Amino acid sequence: MPTPSTTTETVTLTIDGQTATVPKGTLVIEAARQVGVMVPHFCYHPKLTPDANCRMCLVEIEKMPRLQTSCSTQATEGMVVKSSSSVQAQEARKMVLDFILANHPLDCPVCDQGGRCDLQDFSHEYTATSSRFQELKRVFPKEYFSPLIETQMNRCVQCMRCVRYCDQIMDVKALAPTGRGTLTEIKAFGAHELDCEFCGGCVQICPVGAITSRLSMYEFRPWMLKRTDSVCGYCGDGCQITFQTKDNALIEINSTQGSGRNNGDLCARGYFGYHVSEHPDRLTLPLIRKGDEFQSVQWEEALELVGQQLLDVKAKYGADAIGGLISGRCTNEDIYVFQKFMRGVVGTNRIDSSARYGHLNGVHALQRVQGTHRWSVSFEDIESADTLLLVGTNITETNPITGLKVKEAVKRRGAKLITIEALNPAIGSISNIVNLAQQHLGVKPTGFSTAILGLLKAVVEQSILDAELQGKAPAYFNAISARLQALSWDAIFAQTGLASDLFTEAAQVFGQGKKVVVLVGPGVLRSEGGFGMTMNLMDLLLITGKLTNPGCGLAPLAEENNDQGAFEMGGTGAVLPGGTSLGDPAVRENLSKAWGRPIPDTPGSSLPQLIEDAQQGKLKALFVVGENPLASLPPSSGIHSALEKLDFLVCQELFLTETAQKAHVVLPACSYAEKDGTFTNTEGHIQSVRTAIDMVGESRPDWEIFSALSVMMNNPMEYGDVKEIGKEIRNLLPGTRTLGPAPLPAQPDSSAIARYVTTDYQRDIAPRYQLPVNDAATDEITLQVSQSLFHSGKFSRKAKGLLQVEATGKIYLHPEEAARRGISDGDMVKVSNSLGEVLTPVGLRERIPQGVATFPEHFDEEIRQLLPYKVDPETQVPYYKLARVHLKKVVGS
Amino acid sequence: MAQYETILLKNMEQPGYSGSLEDYERAGGYQALRKVLKDMQPDQVIEEVKKSSLRGRGGAGFPTGVKWGFIPKDHPGPKYLCCNADESEPGTFKDRQLMERDPHQMLEGMAITCFAIGAETSYVYIRGEFRLGAKILEKAVQEAKAAGYLGENVLGTGRTINIFVHAGAGAYICGEETALLESLEGKRGQPRFKPPFPATHGLYQKPTVVNNVETMANIPHIMNKGGEWFAGIGSPPKSCGTRIFCLSGHVNRPGNYEVPMGMPFREFIYDVGGGMRSDKPLKAFIPGGASAPFLTPEHLDVKMDFEAVAMAGSMLGSGGVTVMEEGTSMVWAALRLMEFFYHESCGKCTPCREGSSWLTQILQRIWNKQGRQGDLDLLDELCKNIAGRTICAFGEAEVGPIQSTLKYFRHEYEELIREAEATRPQSKEIPVFTH
Ligand SMILES: Cc1cc2nc3c(=O)[nH]c(=O)nc-3n(C[C@H](O)[C@H](O)[C@H](O)COP(=O)(O)O)c2cc1C
Ligand code: SF4
Ligand code: SF4
Ligand code: SF4
Ligand code: SF4
Ligand code: FES
Repeated sequence: MPTPSTTTETVTLTIDGQTATVPKGTLVIEAARQVGVMVPHFCYHPKLTPDANCRMCLVEIEKMPRLQTSCSTQATEGMVVKSSSSVQAQEARKMVLDFILANHPLDCPVCDQGGRCDLQDFSHEYTATSSRFQELKRVFPKEYFSPLIETQMNRCVQCMRCVRYCDQIMDVKALAPTGRGTLTEIKAFGAHELDCEFCGGCVQICPVGAITSRLSMYEFRPWMLKRTDSVCGYCGDGCQITFQTKDNALIEINSTQGSGRNNGDLCARGYFGYHVSEHPDRLTLPLIRKGDEFQSVQWEEALELVGQQLLDVKAKYGADAIGGLISGRCTNEDIYVFQKFMRGVVGTNRIDSSARYGHLNGVHALQRVQGTHRWSVSFEDIESADTLLLVGTNITETNPITGLKVKEAVKRRGAKLITIEALNPAIGSISNIVNLAQQHLGVKPTGFSTAILGLLKAVVEQSILDAELQGKAPAYFNAISARLQALSWDAIFAQTGLASDLFTEAAQVFGQGKKVVVLVGPGVLRSEGGFGMTMNLMDLLLITGKLTNPGCGLAPLAEENNDQGAFEMGGTGAVLPGGTSLGDPAVRENLSKAWGRPIPDTPGSSLPQLIEDAQQGKLKALFVVGENPLASLPPSSGIHSALEKLDFLVCQELFLTETAQKAHVVLPACSYAEKDGTFTNTEGHIQSVRTAIDMVGESRPDWEIFSALSVMMNNPMEYGDVKEIGKEIRNLLPGTRTLGPAPLPAQPDSSAIARYVTTDYQRDIAPRYQLPVNDAATDEITLQVSQSLFHSGKFSRKAKGLLQVEATGKIYLHPEEAARRGISDGDMVKVSNSLGEVLTPVGLRERIPQGVATFPEHFDEEIRQLLPYKVDPETQVPYYKLARVHLKKVVGS
Repeated sequence: MAQYETILLKNMEQPGYSGSLEDYERAGGYQALRKVLKDMQPDQVIEEVKKSSLRGRGGAGFPTGVKWGFIPKDHPGPKYLCCNADESEPGTFKDRQLMERDPHQMLEGMAITCFAIGAETSYVYIRGEFRLGAKILEKAVQEAKAAGYLGENVLGTGRTINIFVHAGAGAYICGEETALLESLEGKRGQPRFKPPFPATHGLYQKPTVVNNVETMANIPHIMNKGGEWFAGIGSPPKSCGTRIFCLSGHVNRPGNYEVPMGMPFREFIYDVGGGMRSDKPLKAFIPGGASAPFLTPEHLDVKMDFEAVAMAGSMLGSGGVTVMEEGTSMVWAALRLMEFFYHESCGKCTPCREGSSWLTQILQRIWNKQGRQGDLDLLDELCKNIAGRTICAFGEAEVGPIQSTLKYFRHEYEELIREAEATRPQSKEIPVFTH
């Protein structure tokens, strides 16, 4: 194992005369690195298990008969290692290079890796300029590999890093060596073009230029690139990325090995999805509606108009006739200034953000039960957990890098995995987390709440309970057990198809865990009853005594990159910055003092409320920032009529989205690649976003536009730069100071827990511990509109790389489900229910359970008309991801 | 010609012996297993094998009892035995005969070994081309199972011993024990780096013994007659027992001969094997399979035991003795073997993967009279940088033929290069790019 065990036992050895003291189990090559001795290597990589195949890292070790590979030899006490001080080792490495160069084409001048190639570097260091190899070189014919990744096998040094990465880290196993000896080539596993997660990891880890990205092929030489370290703008995992730019153009993105919360790993969106910022459709000037047309105007004119309109509406209907909606893709600074603008300048608390789409359910449950609005665990806790429970995550597609942490825990550190997922164990072109599960409870997307109750029931029946807490809060325990007793296993089986013994086994595994993390994904957070389900999972942790144990906790996964920040910065109406309550006068008082402007004591409102009020004519103006509710919400939400009713709609956007097309004024904002700021990832880690390219056209950072508007509205909130905002936030909110590499997770607050188990639970325990109404048994199918690995919202549809992998929506079915209905891959089907009907092509996927169909939400413009809409009574989260539909093959297709 | 008492081939030398269970039992088969299960503890079996000084017959000659002793006793999970029946070394064909003609002998050996090391599951990894052998073994396993010698409740002891026959897919390297394990696990058949060794991290990372077919075949006899008996045969103290040597090449009677270890090569080739096939004298011989460096007539009095052959600069290896008469080109012989090694190099580690193709191309050039000054130095240096630098012993094996022919027959190479120099067009060469 590359990572030494956590023992504190150390050994001391010398390497080239230098003394190194390292934990027992450390590899010699790592020990050497620690004292500044770089042993040349190709196949070794700290992420991967050693393979010792390249023989480049040979060192001389006293008392050992022959040269040893330092990448596979563990340091022992008193070991004497000679690396560059060993003539024999140096000669051997020279010869290894000679061997490699025998068949290597030396096409450095046309190779994308030239300039950052290990083979090039070591050759310069070790070998003479001419090779003694005068025979014929082995030449592989060029073969098409995939739309995004290119191979050039003549350059391959057969180190197998790519193959091992794809297997060990990604669990995709898309690559394989074929052929023998010098004819060994890396190919897609199976005789077809590469079809995989396109994480780019193989490209990043190849020490030479044998696997490269087609998106940047031949466009650069490494030394021409300017590096800017930043954070990915897609999902809540918050990966460290490095923009590589040339003459203000985005050439590629990579991530530095070992850095960021992602440890240098990325997913397809992060690695190949970077062209959005440079898309030709970017808005470059403000637009003002003139009848049916938009007219480009200068900033002054647009700002003046927006300022004036807002003032007019306020004067005429009051400040609460104005609402605001901001995207969780914006930076913390943008969101903070927006809500300050809305509350302090416009004078309303009627704002919301995309955290409302589901993330709020998780945050709200954490706050209510344990008094924190952040996870009480970190990515490191996931990796070192001994037991993991995943519920409705589809983690590979929603939060791929958190998924890697789960894989690390299970595959390499032996954690036990329990999954309650709407996925079948099946091998496919992308990894499937349930394949790694020790206990898999497979359900339909409508079955999560029943399955969670089943697990709770099994826990109670097995008495896997925290006796101490039970003693303190007997009523809470009794209330739960009584309600669970009232649920029959038969009824649970009827809804989940899972027998009681499966729940019992899972409960036992769960109960044995010492370090238990429960990950909750959109299947729970974004489906009907999402808040109640999340609460019940909190109950599960609480009654089993895990919640307050170090390394244990609930981890709701944020879908958008700054959903967590949107909440923390006060982007959801009723919550002020720092997750504090708008309803608390003391909090309001403090904040208004700090701001030097009053905070209205009117209630905040949610997006569903804003829609309702607009429909009723109570909301007259809406300021939408980076959000596209027309494309996010189904027609059943009433969003169309709501927007139509508005007197004034202003959109601040990168593109002329569906919503922006309806606006009166459109303000061009710049993307995350063009501005500084911070994002807060799903685990609550705040990270810096940095400017990589110039602002496109006349676009401006969002905060700057709010600030300019405040000036127009004679209530200026002026900031010189984004740092000033950051300072203001940090002074205001102590929790945002931790901008270091490893955040300490929040600690559950015992007084909050006490409040919950004594009184607060009573409020909604009855509805939470009820089985949902059973679906009628018909030929209906549960349609789930869900996240795809290759996209993020609608935003990524402007990324040309990602479109190469997935460019259209399809309804995906299990092959047997399709066969039963006489449907084949590629057929057109009519999908219908009482809300409408839609034609769409069919795709087949073994991992989809029978009776279920999925459709990527990124392409849901048609299909979303079939989605019913419901709002959570407690968190106001709108639910619209599931529908019951009929499927019918369209004859003649 | 002197007659030697055979142990392993004895049954099949009996006229009409079919290798069936019935025949084997009639010849005293499975008595050893009975005895072991009834009267002995696993440790005692291992002790007895240690006492016998039996050394592995697969090539490396590692003491078998010692190998078994490395298996951790208190390991909680499963342990495995794998019988290496991949026999692919050019010039070696003894295991095939043992499997095809007397399968129960090795199966009994395997059952006893399973008992000794505490394995319930064992595998015969048989070379893919040995279709017949695999069929015969498969049938023998079924017979033994039906008779209670294998299966869930072996001879009523409640002990489980299962043997599964698994055919390879045609790669020489899968005879290397760790490549064998990878292949058996369904992975690409390539050696693992060691340590860890199979004794602790073998099949599915569990403690595993890998033994050759012939090694296994010896076990029942040692159990029946005792370790001391075995240790008295052959060339004690280090090379005990008989070995089946596979004689091939320019001799009168090529074939498998089981003789006590320690016999001089001269006696083996001339008396046992009937001498050279024509009046051309012996020019060179390979003493232990294609991986063993060549020896010359001056080594004919070397004894066929592990130490003596090693002292002479070669190895007893897999027991394949290939004899070449005067007139055989040693460059050609080396090239022929090198082509085999080039074809079979698995490609996992750099020196072997790249070196095998480089060496082959140089030898081909020399043989095709396109050798150059400096080629021999380059050959020397490449060989030096392959042996000892690779993941598995294939690296040493592939350079053996070249190094030994360069040592004893360098003049043949020089002659070819001289010819090449002489016939090479003298006009100025046009420079040619090879990439
Ligand atoms: C390249 C290579 C090929 C080998 N092929 C075989 C083989 O075909 N059969 C065999 O028994 N041992 C073979 N061996 C030796 C095995 O690795 C191993 O040492 C042997 O099976 C152990 O059994 P033993 O102790 O009974 O000899 C080979 C070794 C190498 C390096
Ligand atoms: S890009 Fe594809 S092949 Fe490469 S490591 Fe990622 S999943 Fe594997
Ligand atoms: S493609 Fe690159 S990473 Fe993969 S084996 Fe070849 S050199 Fe190594
Ligand atoms: S989309 Fe999420 S997982 Fe993928 S690179 Fe970006 S932050 Fe990381
Ligand atoms: S020495 Fe040759 S056969 Fe052995 S592992 Fe290396 S490449 Fe494969
Ligand atoms: S780095 Fe050690 S052998 Fe490749």
